Amino acid sequence: MSRLQAGGLVDRGRSLRFAFDGKSYRGFAGDTLASALVANDVKLVGRSFKYHRPRGLLTAGSEEPNALVELRTEARREPNTRATTAELFDGLVASSQNRWPSLAFDLLSLNQLFSPLFVAGFYYKTFMWPASFWEKLYEPLIRRAAGLGRASGLPDPDAYEKATAFCDVLVIGAGPAGLMAARTAARAGARVILCEDDFRLGGRLLAERDEVDGRPGSDFARSLEDELTAMPDVRIFRRTQVFGVYDGGTYGALERLADHLPTPPTGMPRQRLWHFVAKRCVNAMGAIERPIAFANNDRPGIMLASAVRTYLNRYAAVPARRTVVFTSSDDGWRTARDLVAAGTEVIAVVDPRPDLPALLTAPLSRQGLRLVLGAKITQAFGGSKGLKAVEIAQGGSVFRIETDGLAVSGGWNPQIGLTTHQGGRPRWSPELSAFVPSSLPVGMRMAGAVSGDYGLSACLQSGCAVGIAAAEECGFTGTTPEVPRAQDEAVAVTPLWHVTGGHGKSFVDQQNDVTVADIEIAWREGFRAVEHLKRYTTLGMATDQGKTGNVIGHAIMAELTGRSMEETGTSVTRPPHLPVAIGAFAGRHRGRHFKPTRYLAGHDWALRQGATMVDAGQWLRPQWFSAPGEKDWLASVTREVTTTRAAVGVCDVSTLGKIDIKGQDAGIFLDRIYINRFSTLPVGKARYGVMLREDGFVMDDGTVARLGPQHYVMSTTTANAAKVMQHLEFHHQVVWPELDVAMVSVTEHWAQYAVAGPRSREVIQAIYGTAADLSNSAFPYLACRDIALADIPTRLFRLSFSGELAYEIAVPARYGESLLEELVREAVARGGCVYGTEALGVMRVEKGHVAGNELNGQTVTRDLGLERMASTEKDYVGRIMAGRPALMAADRPALVGVRPADPAQRLRAGAHVLALGAAPIADNDEGYVTSVVYSPAVNSWIGLVLVKGGMTRVGTRMRAFDPVRNGDVEIEIVSPIVVDPKGVRLHG
Amino acid sequence: MVETVPRTLRAASAFPDLRGSAEPRHAGVLVCERNPQLVTMIAYKGRRSDVSARLEAYCGLALPLGPRRVAKGESAVIGLGPGTWLFQREAGRPLAAGLSEALGDAAAVTDQSDGYATMRLTGPRAAAVLEKGISIDLHDLAFAPGLAAATSCAHLGIIFWRLENANGHPVYEIAVFRSLARSLWHFIEESAAEFGLAVTAQR
Repeated sequence: MSRLQAGGLVDRGRSLRFAFDGKSYRGFAGDTLASALVANDVKLVGRSFKYHRPRGLLTAGSEEPNALVELRTEARREPNTRATTAELFDGLVASSQNRWPSLAFDLLSLNQLFSPLFVAGFYYKTFMWPASFWEKLYEPLIRRAAGLGRASGLPDPDAYEKATAFCDVLVIGAGPAGLMAARTAARAGARVILCEDDFRLGGRLLAERDEVDGRPGSDFARSLEDELTAMPDVRIFRRTQVFGVYDGGTYGALERLADHLPTPPTGMPRQRLWHFVAKRCVNAMGAIERPIAFANNDRPGIMLASAVRTYLNRYAAVPARRTVVFTSSDDGWRTARDLVAAGTEVIAVVDPRPDLPALLTAPLSRQGLRLVLGAKITQAFGGSKGLKAVEIAQGGSVFRIETDGLAVSGGWNPQIGLTTHQGGRPRWSPELSAFVPSSLPVGMRMAGAVSGDYGLSACLQSGCAVGIAAAEECGFTGTTPEVPRAQDEAVAVTPLWHVTGGHGKSFVDQQNDVTVADIEIAWREGFRAVEHLKRYTTLGMATDQGKTGNVIGHAIMAELTGRSMEETGTSVTRPPHLPVAIGAFAGRHRGRHFKPTRYLAGHDWALRQGATMVDAGQWLRPQWFSAPGEKDWLASVTREVTTTRAAVGVCDVSTLGKIDIKGQDAGIFLDRIYINRFSTLPVGKARYGVMLREDGFVMDDGTVARLGPQHYVMSTTTANAAKVMQHLEFHHQVVWPELDVAMVSVTEHWAQYAVAGPRSREVIQAIYGTAADLSNSAFPYLACRDIALADIPTRLFRLSFSGELAYEIAVPARYGESLLEELVREAVARGGCVYGTEALGVMRVEKGHVAGNELNGQTVTRDLGLERMASTEKDYVGRIMAGRPALMAADRPALVGVRPADPAQRLRAGAHVLALGAAPIADNDEGYVTSVVYSPAVNSWIGLVLVKGGMTRVGTRMRAFDPVRNGDVEIEIVSPIVVDPKGVRLHG
Repeated sequence: MVETVPRTLRAASAFPDLRGSAEPRHAGVLVCERNPQLVTMIAYKGRRSDVSARLEAYCGLALPLGPRRVAKGESAVIGLGPGTWLFQREAGRPLAAGLSEALGDAAAVTDQSDGYATMRLTGPRAAAVLEKGISIDLHDLAFAPGLAAATSCAHLGIIFWRLENANGHPVYEIAVFRSLARSLWHFIEESAAEFGLAVTAQR
């Protein structure tokens, strides 16, 4: 065990069991998986992406490139989880990934021997040709050899959801600067949201030995947390990462509600995706330490100096028995001091800077440490068992020191990722030796280390100042509080990007196995701009997005090109700043709930009758009703059609759009919307109408009934209901604001049922009772009337889509199911049945009526045989554009019927029609089959077809060619009406 | 022909599957189905002031300006858009006919009582449920009792308003197209599960 006897912020009273690669260990509550592994002396945690090199922990935070593990098992197995942020829980099962057969003995590390194959640009160079080899050979090969974790391949058993929260000031990061900013803004009266990625607030206050106001930093953090928790308008989000900045002060964040638990408690989602809407934002995300590239700098045991302090101070876990520190910044010296203070062995501090202030060196030289100044580590030795030794060059001499731990510090990079999400370009700051934002997203300010204020006192001050400024910009006035007392540590740095002279690969980006040599190749081959460098080498890609390695890569490119850091620049990022599971973006909208479902009033009833439901937009409609003994859908549909035509059928047509149109100009309004006239329609009558889009194509059809002098009710197709409403509103509000008309959708208020067939009048009469006069003279074809059924208002229409004597009856939706039940009972008593959308379709095709397949946005009235409906005595939407020559052309395909020459043959909608003997090429195309049904009336498949010449082709033999389904059928062009061509039944 | 009388029809709830997961006193969220009469009123051209005067004479309610809800006794009016309002009455006489008569030629009056399904939510975590679906600020300063919004909730178009607090907790009502009631319920049931959900009877 490498756990210190005392100290740290772990709860030693709560011991937790966990397993890594099948071996069981113990940690404490408050550990991360990484800190628990450190405490158990586990150094090797993963294999690298391409070369399968042994890797350990580099960091202690979300920027970790190496320690990606699979958490949990089976359906909950989650790949590529950073061990450094995974909170330990009792029973946690983790395994390393990207190795075979085991982590310690990975056969695929042979990839290293073929490493010339895997250098920068290898995808582009090696696997260029032939293209078909990609799918079959290269890609599977690469995927097996290189890559990260495995997805479970099973449905995710957990729930995710989305939510929105509003505030005046959003504070991102609860380190010293963020906590102070949140408190200052909240005390001024602002509504504050404080977001922290970690499970505990405090940031570096938890990881350093600094005191604030004479108390340990973690105590100070806790007292601020307590104060903030007690304030009603402060919301604290722990385990929540802000991953994106969007327009209008909107921020995306992921709250991990249950990732620290074995399974989410009942009812709790695993993760919640937040939209934070903030007037102002304080970015207090801190900084990330950067490593130094040298040969074999990826050996397990080589860790960032700040990470060593985090493990030591926060988790009381010691990463190594003996440690060497290699630092080009003052910060690394802190690590040496903390290690010594904790009683662990520090062998040497290696710093390339020859002259350092005694303030830095004296405390350590007094401890007898070896201080190697003006020196560099050129190479590390070791393997899967970890670091064994380092080689140091000082002046002309080179020597080795045996050690199992190396703490590296190459300075700090402010975490500016979020500042680039709206196009902000980072600029190089020579003072900080780091990239900083040149501009910030609207409403964002920075506080603390992210703005280069690295010292603790500076962080606290900047948090106060920025917190008050943000609150004031939201209209609050606060007083600048007294800044808590703290020290500012020395933070000087002389950047050292990489060290040459060693043998072995020097890694720049450990997650993608990008080496210094790869940067050189990119430079040699002309991929010198940072964004080209990224694409060519994969520098800065994958889950960590190069948070530790990017800037080193760019600095090396700057050296190679002889350009300055300003000229070279750095790459920008886009959301998400940290990985976000796709499930979180989907939220609750999975499977059936991907979109809302609209249920008919008679939905449950239909299911009880054996209905098979079909999606019609958002609606679910009964497609057919299976009767006992029916072996397939065709048998059911054929029975429904035959029964309806012989007796009576009932069909739910509630989904059709219904729009009440009222006002003194309602008739004129409709005259302008439809190609035909409605102002002359008598009260109590309905009429079929067709409307065009502005461009002259047919938009929709349906009936309009006039219920009163100033009251019409329009019906639309199910598919176009919303579009037609929008069309009407647009023309009312924008085109003809002078018309006095009001409209409102009543689709949802009325449940409506079609009752069709020779005995339909009897069914309707049974509902209304014999007192209602429904005789042909009192209620003829196309009549409509408001009729009260006891105290329930109903609307009755005599409309037919089937060609039979037919009615549509509407009731307020709450009575829909009950009415449907009554109608079907009456129908069944007369030898009738209930029918679904398939039978509806069969009967309309038998009558040659157009529907969605023909009103497809590409047809004009002439194509559909509706041109005679168009009034020549008034203007209407689309009239002018419908007169364009191409839309008037005589050879446009027009609607007509089609049947297979051999009635046993099956037709398919979508088949193209060609002259007999014509080659099946586009030049010979004469049209296509739009709708096909099996007609019991003629015992054959029949269809509607849009074919050149239209009705003039009746009697012609042609060919229906359907290459998609291997259909090639001889057909005859026929009249589109196969049932009751004279329309006698309609008038009953 | 045998004499027959008009058929009697049975009314059904828009929310057939309401089921809670907790006892009301332990629940974070309490819901109940509402069944108010609903009527849309659209003022004809230039007739807003007539609508206002006639409405006031009819029931003593002043037309709200903007997205607000004004209430008096059993009646309430919600502003839905320019010149458009939703009139609600909890019970009593059939509303549409009376209102149509009262407003006369000044407004188009259309019964929507069955066009919407209405749900009331209250309890200590009611706002925590709603923020999972509704992207408007629910803070007292931003959405006080008496305010209304035509917005969306979990991809469903809704009309949404806040009533006076009850038992120290905010009270909200959501009206959604009736066919979407089950989708709204699915959202509420899943989103409230972590807080405990109780279904209470109307009234």
